[in-house]
Amino acid sequence: MLKAMVCVAIATLLAAATSYAADRGRAAVIYDGVSTEVTASPESSKDLWITMKDLKRATRFVVKPQGVCRDELCFPLPAKRKAEFISKRGAVTWFNLTAFAALVKQPVARDEKNGVWNFGKREDERGANLASLEAPNFTLPDIDGKMHSLAEYRGKKVLLITWASW
Amino acid sequence: MPGWQKFYHDLNGRNFEIISVAQDTGGAKDAAPWITAARPEYIALIDDKHLVTQLYGMVNVPTAVWINEKGIIVRPNEVAYVDNRYKAMHGVDAGPYLDAIRDWVTYGDRSRFVMGEQEVKELLKPPSPERAMADAEFGLAEYLHRNGKGEDAIAHFKEAQRLDPDNWNYKRQAWALSDAEKNYGTSFMKEVQKLNGKPYYAPRKLPQKQ
Repeated sequence: MLKAMVCVAIATLLAAATSYAADRGRAAVIYDGVSTEVTASPESSKDLWITMKDLKRATRFVVKPQGVCRDELCFPLPAKRKAEFISKRGAVTWFNLTAFAALVKQPVARDEKNGVWNFGKREDERGANLASLEAPNFTLPDIDGKMHSLAEYRGKKVLLITWASW
Repeated sequence: MPGWQKFYHDLNGRNFEIISVAQDTGGAKDAAPWITAARPEYIALIDDKHLVTQLYGMVNVPTAVWINEKGIIVRPNEVAYVDNRYKAMHGVDAGPYLDAIRDWVTYGDRSRFVMGEQEVKELLKPPSPERAMADAEFGLAEYLHRNGKGEDAIAHFKEAQRLDPDNWNYKRQAWALSDAEKNYGTSFMKEVQKLNGKPYYAPRKLPQKQ
């Protein structure tokens, strides 16, 4: 009995902690299909402001003098609108990831209750293969968990077929 | 799948590969029993994020793409039935398409079923902003579903369906993950009946012999 009560108490505490996290300052960012827990500015409501450190962790983009960059890819920020993207409050510099998404024409789906933001394909990624007609590569597991990439089958004709159990 | 296994087995050793990809949010749990039963000699992969659907802009299953030895698309997305099991529902005879694949395996880029670059380009359009948004909503719904928030996922599955209304993958997958009648007020059969005999997934025309 006592054990059950302790369990209930722990579960209640955990639930409270979780909802607290969803409300205040925690968010899950899904970027390129990978989810990362980040600290969201408590002032975030419509927009998602995250720290520069989390920007790099969640998206691999970093803010440089020439723009918001990842490897060779750089998106310059409009000079007169920098304050829409970057805000320094105290010791922390925040980055507005949703304003950046709008800038690069990236769809964002949000679940407010659970604090989850899914960042979809940026405009520059959409239809990227259309000029070459190259089949987009993917790497996925078979039933034994072994990974296979389409690119491994160069030199053969490939019939790609999708199906589903449903 | 057993149909494709036989088809593939008969073409074995012809420098031809089948890569089948299950579009299943439930992953191996849902797809593996079918793969185990069919024991395919070809490559059978599991895609629990509908990645291939999004990369190729697909809207239904089964959908096939022909990719040549250089990795170039020579016939984009089209319906690919391996037998006539569901012919009563969609009215498509599988035979001519299977013959077309055999012709391609034999003649390669000289096959009359291989499309020219311009023809493929006209068929392959970059995804519309609505489709891109639908993909994001669908991905969010899958994430919530996977993390035990199935109830919260429904609104986002519905939004994906609203944004990309011709996408049967996004409808059927969502319906399969919960009680479709209760949560979506419909079912696959009901939706097909609504089309009133119009094929819900029309095949591409295959060129005739000259």
